[in-house]
Amino acid sequence: MDISSVQKLCIHLISSAVQRCRLSEGLCRLSVVLKSSPPIIRVSISDTGTGSCLEEFQDLKCNREGIGTEKWDGLLSIKTTSISDNKIYHYHLNLRGSVSARRLTRLPSIPKNDAKFSGTEVCLSISETIDALLKDIKHYFQKMLILKIPVSSTATLMPFICTQNDMVRNLYFNETFLKSVAAELVIERGDASGLRCENVFLPNECSPLNFSSSNVERLKSGLEEYVLKHRNSLNNKCDSCFCSREKLKISSGVASSMESHRSPGLIVEAVIAISELPESLCFRSSGNKTEVLHFKDFSPSSVSIASLNALTSIDWRSYGLTLVSAVDQVDHALIEWESLPPYLHIDMVIHCYHKQYPGKYKYQPDRHLIKKGVKLALDDLKEKHTGLLLSAHAVKICSYAPDLASSIAGIILSSNDLKFRSKCSTLLELSQSQAIGKQTVEDRIKEKIISVIETNDRKPEKIKEAAPFLFEDDRPQDLDPADLYLEEHAGGGNVFSFPD
Amino acid sequence: MDDLSKSSMKFFSDQQLCFADILLPHEVQARIQVAVLNFLKILSSPDPEISDLPLINRKSSNSRVSEGILTDVSWIFLSHSFCSRSLMKANATKAFIRVWKVMEMCFEFLTQEKRVTQRELFYKLLCDSPHYFSSQLQVNRTIQDVVALLRCSRYSLGIMASSKGLVAGRILLQEPNQEAVDCSACGSSGYAISGDLNLLESLIMKTDARYIVVVEKHAIFQRLAEDHVFNQIPSILLTAKGYPDIATRFLLHRMSRAFPDLPILALVDWNPAGLAILSTYKFGSIGMGLEAYRYACNVKWLGLRGDDLQLIPQQSLAPLKPRDLQIARSLISSTTLQDNYRQELAVMMQSGQRAEIEALYSNGYDYLGKYLAKKIVQANYI
Repeated sequence: MDISSVQKLCIHLISSAVQRCRLSEGLCRLSVVLKSSPPIIRVSISDTGTGSCLEEFQDLKCNREGIGTEKWDGLLSIKTTSISDNKIYHYHLNLRGSVSARRLTRLPSIPKNDAKFSGTEVCLSISETIDALLKDIKHYFQKMLILKIPVSSTATLMPFICTQNDMVRNLYFNETFLKSVAAELVIERGDASGLRCENVFLPNECSPLNFSSSNVERLKSGLEEYVLKHRNSLNNKCDSCFCSREKLKISSGVASSMESHRSPGLIVEAVIAISELPESLCFRSSGNKTEVLHFKDFSPSSVSIASLNALTSIDWRSYGLTLVSAVDQVDHALIEWESLPPYLHIDMVIHCYHKQYPGKYKYQPDRHLIKKGVKLALDDLKEKHTGLLLSAHAVKICSYAPDLASSIAGIILSSNDLKFRSKCSTLLELSQSQAIGKQTVEDRIKEKIISVIETNDRKPEKIKEAAPFLFEDDRPQDLDPADLYLEEHAGGGNVFSFPD
Repeated sequence: MDDLSKSSMKFFSDQQLCFADILLPHEVQARIQVAVLNFLKILSSPDPEISDLPLINRKSSNSRVSEGILTDVSWIFLSHSFCSRSLMKANATKAFIRVWKVMEMCFEFLTQEKRVTQRELFYKLLCDSPHYFSSQLQVNRTIQDVVALLRCSRYSLGIMASSKGLVAGRILLQEPNQEAVDCSACGSSGYAISGDLNLLESLIMKTDARYIVVVEKHAIFQRLAEDHVFNQIPSILLTAKGYPDIATRFLLHRMSRAFPDLPILALVDWNPAGLAILSTYKFGSIGMGLEAYRYACNVKWLGLRGDDLQLIPQQSLAPLKPRDLQIARSLISSTTLQDNYRQELAVMMQSGQRAEIEALYSNGYDYLGKYLAKKIVQANYI
């Protein structure tokens, strides 16, 4: 893959490290160390995940148009070992050289002496300001929080033996950010004040996820925290806005495609969070917009055309929403809605990944799969929360409910037949006392009608059957739409007065 | 006709008949109550829905003809095809609610034992629910929906049809406990037919006429009444001033049963609309098909007919209008039209012309009476 900047290169290397950690069975640690001695930064990314294979690094392409030679010399120093290896392999890889010269330099291996561990360390030197790099790395880690990659059931940390120079030091164990990956970001600034370790990365609360939670459960939990922290603008959950959990409604949908010889199995997970908050001090209304975060193979990704197409082709009207536009904003897609209620906010995250890792990532999920995933999430939301995302049609029909209820209540209350009235009271679950006012009856009928409309709005169109008829012995023979009476006698207008 | 529905000997075609019962107020209220109970039952059921309203289809596709076998009267009736009004159909929601609103209002009137006209009902609904009712036509249509839903006659709902009909001629009509009215002495305006069907039912009728003449237009009726044509040929004159309303047809039907030997002859304009009016007296209508079949009478077409055209000057012929053609088309497609009527209609269409009865005046003001008398005596009617 093409690398176009040092930031992207570093992010890519960290991302690979995360994937390796994800694949390993146990609790891992990831460490990113930035040693700054201006103008050079020595970046060291180490993890205790599965050992890496060289193809990962050799596949990186770096041409002169991307990263200039003054920023990076093209050299990667790699140390890696798998659980089954009995040595730690050490390489230097020069990505700048021409094909033949782009050679691996094998350096002497380091014996493991029967210790069982795995890990990788990648080092490189770049010329960049530390703040620019830091910003991107922090942003990456914050996004990764949403994924909440699984935690191991074994709580023990793999012991890591320190060997000489540049292997990850057995530093203090921080709170996990990826729940199985104890991660730390260490910055050592070589300046007048000497060596300073800044642990930039902040702990977060434990939440009740365990190893057996599915990926989508984690994604839900991650998005929930993201929203509760006001989209990562806070470090902790905001207590004043979300004092009750009901204010935040989350649902998910998973769509997967079959594996075949032509394409790998793909999974699309979509999570949608709807928060209903009245205006509060800390909540700045972001208007009618939704940022759709995208992840691909457990890593933050850019927005694909397929995804934009999927988002624009969904029938939002059946969920009571109207889409104005969906735009690619590089690291997320921005959806603009036409008139959301002012207190309502929608957040969305879409994660596409291959069932098998590693693999050749040639196939992108098509828009049908993404659309299916998002629709499943929307339907799930509607299913779990009555009255949410009511289609425009249902809202319109609900507006007629008071008048219908009023008519029926009128009939009931103007009847002198006591048996009839008491039967109606029973059906409406009202008390049998005579003193029930019209308003009570009317309100009860209205409630029932609205609840039926809302419930039935959730059913997909296909299974909606014709409503039962009012008089049971009538069976329809054909259902023509109601017709104009006058059609039969077209002359019933001006020439002849209407028959009484 | 009513006897037929009660008789144990039901023809196959009668099983297909859907009719509106003539019911007492409390019976209609009972049906409305059943409607409410069923609606609530389905609304509160474990699998709740908002029930649709099944209405008998008032379309030609649902109309059938009962050919007169034992009698010489054929009639149109409606069969068991339904259309439904649903709350959930986006454009039909208001129509659905209109039916309920009319039912509510009728229920109230029935409790108070009041009778209202369609016009009064319209104004009441307009005040009550202006969003739903915007015209008399809509109200009338909704009333027919309620008739089709509850299968009871409009009159049973407490809605009186205001009548336009007039009677003149050699007949005595007596309301119970009132003086008899001699319709030959009513002058040119005749006796106004009430819209109250119960009252019409209770009228005591006596006549020495030999014919009943149904006249399309008021002006012609007035002319004939003024000229005392009914004395020259003993007859009864009847008009609905155009398209016949239920009350007029009701009375005509009563007369035809009370005086079965009197042929009923129709005097209409020579155009498709005139034939349509004749057909309505003769067979009933689809629009009120659940009730109208009861009042079908064996009406014969006296004039104007194709062979009368020689009696009128060429200039008095006018071209057929698009409306006329529409009516003609729907008449042709109706199964009830007998062949000789079809032929007349075909001639009308081919010539593209129409003629009014008044055209006969070109031969003199008293010509109409003579024309009528001559045709009757010659039994020149089909």
